[in-house]
Amino acid sequence: MKYLLQVTAAVALCAGVAHADVIKVGVVGPFSGGAALQGRNFQAGIEAYFALHGKTVGEHEIEVIYRDLPAADPGQSAALTQELIVGEGVQYLAGYYYTPDAMAAAPILEEANVPMVIFNAATSAIVNASPLVVRTSFTTFQTSTPMATVARERGISKAITVVSDYGPGIDAETAFVRAFGAAGGETVQSVRMPMTTVDFSPIMQRIKDSGAEAVFAFLPAGPQTLGFMTAFVENGLKDAGVQLLAPGDLTQESDLPVLGPNAAGMLTTFHYAVSHNSPENIAFIEAASNWLGNPDELSFPAVGAYDGMTVIARMIEATDGRQDAAAAVEAVKGMEWISPRGPVSINPENRHLTQNIYLREVAEVEGKWINHELQVFENQGDPGWVAP
Amino acid sequence: MSQPRTLPLLKRGFLGDIISLAVMIAIAVICFHFMPSNLSFFTRIIAIMLLVLAIDLVTGFTGIATLGHAALYGAGAYAAGIAAAKFGINDPILMLLIGVVAGAIMGLISSLVILRGHGLSQLVLSIAVVQLAREAANKFSGWTGGSDGLSGISPAPLFGTWRFDLWGRTSYWLAVVLLLVTFFLLRQLVRSPFGKLCQAIRQDPVRVRAMGAPVYLTQVKMYAISGAVAGLGGALSAVATKVVGLDSLSFELSAEAVVMLVLGGTANLFGAMIGSGVFMWFEHTMATINPYHWLTIVGALLVVVVLFAPRGLTGMAETLYNRLIGGLRK
Amino acid sequence: MQTILSIGVDAFAYGMVLFVISIGLSVTMGLMKFANLAHGAFAMIGGYVASYATQALGWHFGFALLAAVAACMVLAVPLERFLYRRFYGASELRQVLMTIGLTFMIIGIANWLMGPTLKTIALPPALQGPVDIGFRSVPAHKIFAAVVGLLVAIGLWLLIERTFFGVKLRAAVDDAPMAEALGIRTKIVYAISFSIAIGLAALGGVVGAQLLPIEPQYALHHMVTFLVVVSVGGAGSIGGALAACLILGTVKTTGSYLMPEFGNFFFYLAVIAIVAVFPNGLMGRAK
Repeated sequence: MKYLLQVTAAVALCAGVAHADVIKVGVVGPFSGGAALQGRNFQAGIEAYFALHGKTVGEHEIEVIYRDLPAADPGQSAALTQELIVGEGVQYLAGYYYTPDAMAAAPILEEANVPMVIFNAATSAIVNASPLVVRTSFTTFQTSTPMATVARERGISKAITVVSDYGPGIDAETAFVRAFGAAGGETVQSVRMPMTTVDFSPIMQRIKDSGAEAVFAFLPAGPQTLGFMTAFVENGLKDAGVQLLAPGDLTQESDLPVLGPNAAGMLTTFHYAVSHNSPENIAFIEAASNWLGNPDELSFPAVGAYDGMTVIARMIEATDGRQDAAAAVEAVKGMEWISPRGPVSINPENRHLTQNIYLREVAEVEGKWINHELQVFENQGDPGWVAP
Repeated sequence: MSQPRTLPLLKRGFLGDIISLAVMIAIAVICFHFMPSNLSFFTRIIAIMLLVLAIDLVTGFTGIATLGHAALYGAGAYAAGIAAAKFGINDPILMLLIGVVAGAIMGLISSLVILRGHGLSQLVLSIAVVQLAREAANKFSGWTGGSDGLSGISPAPLFGTWRFDLWGRTSYWLAVVLLLVTFFLLRQLVRSPFGKLCQAIRQDPVRVRAMGAPVYLTQVKMYAISGAVAGLGGALSAVATKVVGLDSLSFELSAEAVVMLVLGGTANLFGAMIGSGVFMWFEHTMATINPYHWLTIVGALLVVVVLFAPRGLTGMAETLYNRLIGGLRK
Repeated sequence: MQTILSIGVDAFAYGMVLFVISIGLSVTMGLMKFANLAHGAFAMIGGYVASYATQALGWHFGFALLAAVAACMVLAVPLERFLYRRFYGASELRQVLMTIGLTFMIIGIANWLMGPTLKTIALPPALQGPVDIGFRSVPAHKIFAAVVGLLVAIGLWLLIERTFFGVKLRAAVDDAPMAEALGIRTKIVYAISFSIAIGLAALGGVVGAQLLPIEPQYALHHMVTFLVVVSVGGAGSIGGALAACLILGTVKTTGSYLMPEFGNFFFYLAVIAIVAVFPNGLMGRAK
């Protein structure tokens, strides 16, 4: 019995040690279910990276292993992560769409000697969960805060916030209210709606009654956002000249063909627009669309994944394929590069991406709805992060 | 509902229980040695198994329909998690006990609501209960972490000796022992006069009432016991995962657990365990093979099972067994 | 006053949309005693057909609506013949398991065929934009949904209570062997009823698509809503379903307006209160 135990442990340990030639990266993301498109975008970003930079770093070949986690489900996340580390012997963990899923994986990183590169989950506190977490996406605080400046610059002094009643919604509300107040604006009301709201007419009535000049909104992308924007137009708020403001999750490009006309003129702040004009982005879009088949499906998680692979490649290079999580993370602290979204760098203090946040307007260009970039807020950190 | 029968072999009381326990231990040891990379997954299966067993107690044995049992599981998970994250109660055994108590209390409260209805209305009441619990957990995010999940749970080593490590061995063996103990106790429970009374209530509540037995009180008691079992499952998942999310209080989890129970077969405890094991293993394997389209195949499996094994997998096993014995006797 | 009227209008419109989407399920659960959790999946198929017809083929909304209903009714025939028929009279749990399995399959297939993105149904100009009703404006498609809901309610009531088919259906439900003995071909009656219920699901899916947009998870997202409406109203009762939709619509709308942060608390508390007082639903027949 004891012997068997030792053998098992030894086998498990061996699986965790680096191989000289194949480096496995475990990617956990939503490949089925309601957010399946975001999971596809993870894969599109990874495939785009391989298409442009190849699958090898030095003499090490990268192999990606995918695991499906369709919803926020920490129990399943912990199980999949453990299986990837112990069973598949992955040397890097990546992906993670929802915050609780990332939180559930974080506690085992140090013991497993595995860094984790987050492609999406956008709550500020995640980076505090383990020193081995690096994030290449954004935080809701980071994308929402500049909107307060935008609102003030456009002469808006009274705003109402309307958000879905869940973590990211509350983050967005807090970020905007704080920054808007600091810039001399007044938030007349803060409305939180249940996640299951389908009829937004009563909310629109409240917005009307509040007398606000602008609405700052946050809802999960998809059916909720569609319903909200349709109601916004149908209830005459758009015609009344109320300005709709939001972080860019709401107008992700894959939803724009549907949201299109109702969202026209809406202002959003975000870290990435597919329409961003740079040689890096044009190459990225071509490669990612190639893999997706349908270019209309391309959305922001793809760029998080693409940059995540850039970071992982640097880690592999720095450690020369050895499994040394601390050294790998150390090697990318302060790393700077030009991402498809623009210049970015990794803040050595909290391992989160410092990046440009763009003000965009939903507009129709050559028959296609896009997020048209108007203004840049350069080198934005994460205002929501608090040192542990 | 047709009257589900237990496997003849397993009817034989105490001896049968010992044999079953031995088989379960053997399976646990085999899993441990041959699939060491899946221990976290097995732990998760066992946590869900406890939830499914809890549903079997009220639905299979007592005839109370529910699509909201995750409320009890989630109560256990959150109670154990909050005790650890907010009050520094890190002893895993203590966390489990807190989960059991919370589950039982939640069971008691929700039974008062759910027993107001019958059939469809009972199902809807149970759904309303789990939705309310979820809303509350989302609302009090200062305590529960809301949709970001409750993190910061770090259970101390079990009995001060075994750490909850990367390989998940400690949580695995803890889960196995909990399952064995629960299974053994529940076997005794369903054979006790109380258990027989519950089964009589399922078959004909009117007659039981006419005989002067307290129908309502018995149902409430069984619901509280079921809550304790579900709460134990939830607390186990909090200890093993170290994060509690809103998914543990969802209609989806409740419905999936009922699906597992019916898949395995109701009212014999084995069905609950086999159903959850098979369902989760199948789902896991399919999702690994094809992350994009596994749902279709899982759906097809369900339809096929209901079509060809009306009394679940254990019912099918029993039919095969009887046929085999019948064949031998000829 | 303005506010109360306004809430009243929104509540009525929302309630009627709920009614159109759920009434088909009330028919299956009440009259055919079948717990068809795949109801939302059929509504979703209807929505997809209409979306494809209006967007890709450029059909007029009216034709697309008819095509969606017809397609689902035709699809219902083999499904009833080879699958559902085997579960008439089976335990509720088995019906639930089978229909959840079916829902999973339909979701998977929808995801594969149509992709995971949202789909919209193109409305004709007459149904777009607001309509002025004096003190405020209401989206035209909500008025359309309300009218369709009322027509469906009247039509169904006539069909069940006033036609020979309705008599046969009620007889077949209450006592199948006796009805069979009287020369009613219960199998055909059931097949037609099932097909009608699925057609209603598709109708609801298309008419309600402005509020409940079409996407692969539709069938799971709204399963609870459908069950709640049917149970609060009393399965099989058209008046009950109507009353339930209006009451629940009012609770939800008022809650969203006055205290959105507690919107769902009021909704589920109302459900518990109503069902606790009327265990068979508002107008359900006692069992």
